[in-house]
Amino acid sequence: MKPWLLLAMAAIASAQDFTQRGFLDSTATFYPQTAPNDSGHAWDTELFQYEAFYKLGPYFRFAAGIDATVDSHQQTGRDFALSWWDRGRQRPAFEMRRLSAAYSRGKLTVEAGKQFIRWGKTDILTPTDRFAPRDYLNVVDTDFLAITAARLTYGNQSDSIDVVLAPRFTPSRIPLLNERWSGLPSGLSLSELPPDFPGGPQFGARWNHIGQSLEYALAFYNGYDNLPLFRAQLPFIQAFYPQMRMYGGDAAIPLRLLTVKAEAAYFTSTTPQSDEYVLYELQLERQSGEWSFAAGYTGQTVTDHRSTLFFSPERGFARAITTVAAYTIDTNRSLTFEGVVRQNGDGVLLKAIYSQAWGQHWRATAGIAWIHGADVDFLGQYHRNSHAILGVRYSF
Amino acid sequence: MSDLSKRAGRKPGGRPEGLTPRTATLIVAFCTIGKVCAQDARQIVEESQRRAQAHSQRYAGVLEVIAANSKVSKKSWESVRIGSFGMSKAILRFTAPAEVKGVALLVVNHTDRSSDQWMWTPAIGRDRRIALQDRSTRFFGTDFSFEDLEERDAGQYDFRLTGEEPIDAAPCWRIEAHPRQGKVSQYTLTRMWIRQDNYVPAQYENLIKDEVVRRLHQSDIQNVQGIWTARLLEMTDLRRNSRTLLRMEKLEYNVPINDDDFTVQALRREQ
Repeated sequence: MKPWLLLAMAAIASAQDFTQRGFLDSTATFYPQTAPNDSGHAWDTELFQYEAFYKLGPYFRFAAGIDATVDSHQQTGRDFALSWWDRGRQRPAFEMRRLSAAYSRGKLTVEAGKQFIRWGKTDILTPTDRFAPRDYLNVVDTDFLAITAARLTYGNQSDSIDVVLAPRFTPSRIPLLNERWSGLPSGLSLSELPPDFPGGPQFGARWNHIGQSLEYALAFYNGYDNLPLFRAQLPFIQAFYPQMRMYGGDAAIPLRLLTVKAEAAYFTSTTPQSDEYVLYELQLERQSGEWSFAAGYTGQTVTDHRSTLFFSPERGFARAITTVAAYTIDTNRSLTFEGVVRQNGDGVLLKAIYSQAWGQHWRATAGIAWIHGADVDFLGQYHRNSHAILGVRYSF
Repeated sequence: MSDLSKRAGRKPGGRPEGLTPRTATLIVAFCTIGKVCAQDARQIVEESQRRAQAHSQRYAGVLEVIAANSKVSKKSWESVRIGSFGMSKAILRFTAPAEVKGVALLVVNHTDRSSDQWMWTPAIGRDRRIALQDRSTRFFGTDFSFEDLEERDAGQYDFRLTGEEPIDAAPCWRIEAHPRQGKVSQYTLTRMWIRQDNYVPAQYENLIKDEVVRRLHQSDIQNVQGIWTARLLEMTDLRRNSRTLLRMEKLEYNVPINDDDFTVQALRREQ
């Protein structure tokens, strides 16, 4: 590295307007049962994440971040090139997690580049959260992916409008066919063709109002579903991403005893194989002492049924009662319980996680996820994937 | 005509039926003293708040949370505030420990009601409004509740001067503050001790019914840019038997801060 560049980087790093954070995380996952297409019992994943933020004067901000991942189960690619677009089937070994520049002045903020965009208010199912593809390599333990977009936000504390334009599509990362989270039945061998990615841009706008006793938002999205449909001509299968238009809204109403959150969206599509449907969630939450609770119902109404083969955890976890309860034991220790129960009883997911911190940097996590149900149910099909997790994280 | 006489519909000096002159005199004297004390208590609190007024404030908070078993955990945050009592807005952003770096709380105070609060969690990229009923919850493992982080405008309380008592050997007025109707608070009563020499609050005791549940002791009082300020705050949670020490470092008043930096959008923008 050139000396002047080193000096410049050192100057930035020592500046008051420079902040950074990150962690090194090691997680081991243990599956007591084998799956039809996966005999592995133990997986290990190592993740190094680093993010840096720099504020240049009163108006400009820059954000950058990388993820470096390696695992024992080939979920992560072995190609050491830096990935920007997140379109590979495997998780990239080196990924540009984010890289964006923002300009803010008065009520206006414009941010361009690779960034995280989250919409919606509910916590369990967020139908209006259209610019937030996820990593579903483990279907019940997901992470968000950044997208490349330009985002304009204008407004004050009570009313703001958010306009997003994403020129290139970023898909959610779906389970690998040769691994247990694909949920394929035994004896079925498929050959995967490269995914058919759409070429056009995505656009969305959201108006958010914050009132004294009510917050609500209206959202519109026109683009593509980040979750795929499949074309099948056995043994070949190919993922493609249908056109999607969404009209949605969300609201949060703090009442005397509980906070009520609601979110709903109506999805239409010009793709002939894609369903048209309504997804909604009604959620109640409350904190009491060291406990916090959230419980809700996620629902789905299909208005036009067209598709046969699709992968959609959003819809797969719908028509279910969902609960999250967290207990803070003390300043360093916590317990979290999560439950998803499909209303027909064909799928159940129960999670319990214990977490403990040591000092300023270390945290250990131990958890179990128990999955039960029928093969025909989206959640129930993973009944052989109950697992235990042990993790250690060093944050800096 | 006194207020009492007006309400009774009598002429000044008129005596309620069935009362002896001595009893009537005592009642009038007691009520007059009570009224003067109430007025004095409010004046003291308002003067205390007036003296602490600044266009803005910024400091780096260094926290030590000392659990009942004496285990100590350290945290730190950066605090910026614009405006003063009643109409102020503040942002607290954690800088340590590493795993909560970037977590931020926006507090928008109001003169006529409880504050609005939003928390930003960068790990999930979402902001969440802290509902009124959740304000008694501890703030990120400290002994401060969310409600303790809002500013208390004098207009939202009724005050009563209940005596004088020294704190840290400094003479103080002891004042009781009852939340007015419409003010939602976990506390039924707050006792405050305000120093007579510089009008800085030296201690608060927060009660639920008749039980003192949290005590905030303020010390290391220094004159910073003409404003007497307690730079060491010790909050004790008497039910948990734990306490949190907050030391204000790099404290500055009247720094240039923009009002647009105190919105939910700004929480996200600053990461």
